[in-house]
Amino acid sequence: MAAMLAILRKDLRLELRSGLSTTALVSLSLLILVVLVFALPASVAGAEPAAGALWVAMIFSGMLGATRALSAERENGCIRALLQSPVDPATLYAAKLAAAFIFMAVAEIAAILMMVLFFNLDFDLRIIRLAPVILLGALGFAALATLLAAISGHTRASDLLLPMLAVPMFVPALIAGVKASAAALAGEPIAAMGAWIKILVAFDVLFVASGYLLFEFVAGED
Amino acid sequence: MASGLRTWLGIAAGALMLAALFMVFVYVPTEAEEGIVQRIFYFHVPIAWVTFAAFGLVAISGVFYLWMRQQVWDELGYAAAETGMVFCTLMLVTGSIWAKPIWGTWWTWDSRLTTCLILWLLYGGYLVLRVLADDTPETARLAAVVGIVGALDVPIIIVSVRLWRTIHPAVLVTRQGSHGLEDPRMIATLLVAMAAFTAFFCWLLWLRFATLRAGARVARLKLRLALAAAGD
Repeated sequence: MAAMLAILRKDLRLELRSGLSTTALVSLSLLILVVLVFALPASVAGAEPAAGALWVAMIFSGMLGATRALSAERENGCIRALLQSPVDPATLYAAKLAAAFIFMAVAEIAAILMMVLFFNLDFDLRIIRLAPVILLGALGFAALATLLAAISGHTRASDLLLPMLAVPMFVPALIAGVKASAAALAGEPIAAMGAWIKILVAFDVLFVASGYLLFEFVAGED
Repeated sequence: MASGLRTWLGIAAGALMLAALFMVFVYVPTEAEEGIVQRIFYFHVPIAWVTFAAFGLVAISGVFYLWMRQQVWDELGYAAAETGMVFCTLMLVTGSIWAKPIWGTWWTWDSRLTTCLILWLLYGGYLVLRVLADDTPETARLAAVVGIVGALDVPIIIVSVRLWRTIHPAVLVTRQGSHGLEDPRMIATLLVAMAAFTAFFCWLLWLRFATLRAGARVARLKLRLALAAAGD
């Protein structure tokens, strides 16, 4: 636990000083939202397209964030040092996951603000109800992307492989997340979203557990 | 001799396939609602079963590889993924051919077609990983993890896609379930077709697996040769 917090603190401190990951995530989210405004029909406004756009931005900026986090470690040979330390790979995974989740959550705050503006929504309580859905989604995606980024980082075209693996695997959480987000933004009660929330929770449990158990097989250096 | 057994499997698969073809095109009666097109069902369902079984085999091989670290499990998983991909593609194609006359469109986002497409993408990701990475034990570990995680994901994919389609049903009404096989001849035909495609898959899998094993053996021999030459 202490080791995990130490690694997490290192990553957070690095990020606080450079601000690169968060800037990248927020910028890419903004750009994706702008592209979607142009790409979707002119009359687009309201809960459903907004929810969809938000999740598109989350996925693609999240993939960028995961790739960057691991490539940064590789560049400085830090990954070798981490693996040779007494920290076991599962703890390393937990720390990386926590960092990825925190970065994504922060970026999502900015993305939600932009989404409300671009899709003509209101700043009201419905945004609060959106928060747990987004956090569950961000956790699931961070868990998935941390594991898959470690896998794809070993190959030649890692930036091709990560989306190819991540997108089909993320589909359940994507479906559940978009539907629950749209319901939250439309002001529907929690009961209506119950099934989707359950799917998100199941997804999160599955991928956090899988990542924790399987990371030792994929962590390594080239 | 293993290759002898494999040959017999191939002959058996061929015989079963001929029997299945006869039953599908001659023996079984035409279905009342869909007409002749419904006969694709006897190909499509066995192919679908084989696809999912192959995917499970990839995952199980992955588990055994991570546990026992024997290359044979890795080769089995890779062979199963390649063969499974072929059948997955066939499943989508036969499904599409069936959909056009029945639903009037080549593709629709009904729950089963969508799940099959996701499965196809999962297979594709596994194979792209194999192609992009070198032939090392590390790659075998990576592929094993991808296979395992993918297989664990499939149940959640099925549930979520089904829920997605129930709340927003597809424009075209689809028929769920076993399509009402009333006539015992239909059941018999389906069983024979299942046996035929399963045997066919096993034969193809064995061929591919044997090729991979032989390739590994050649690589080992080459290495020994190189080391022996360097030693002189």
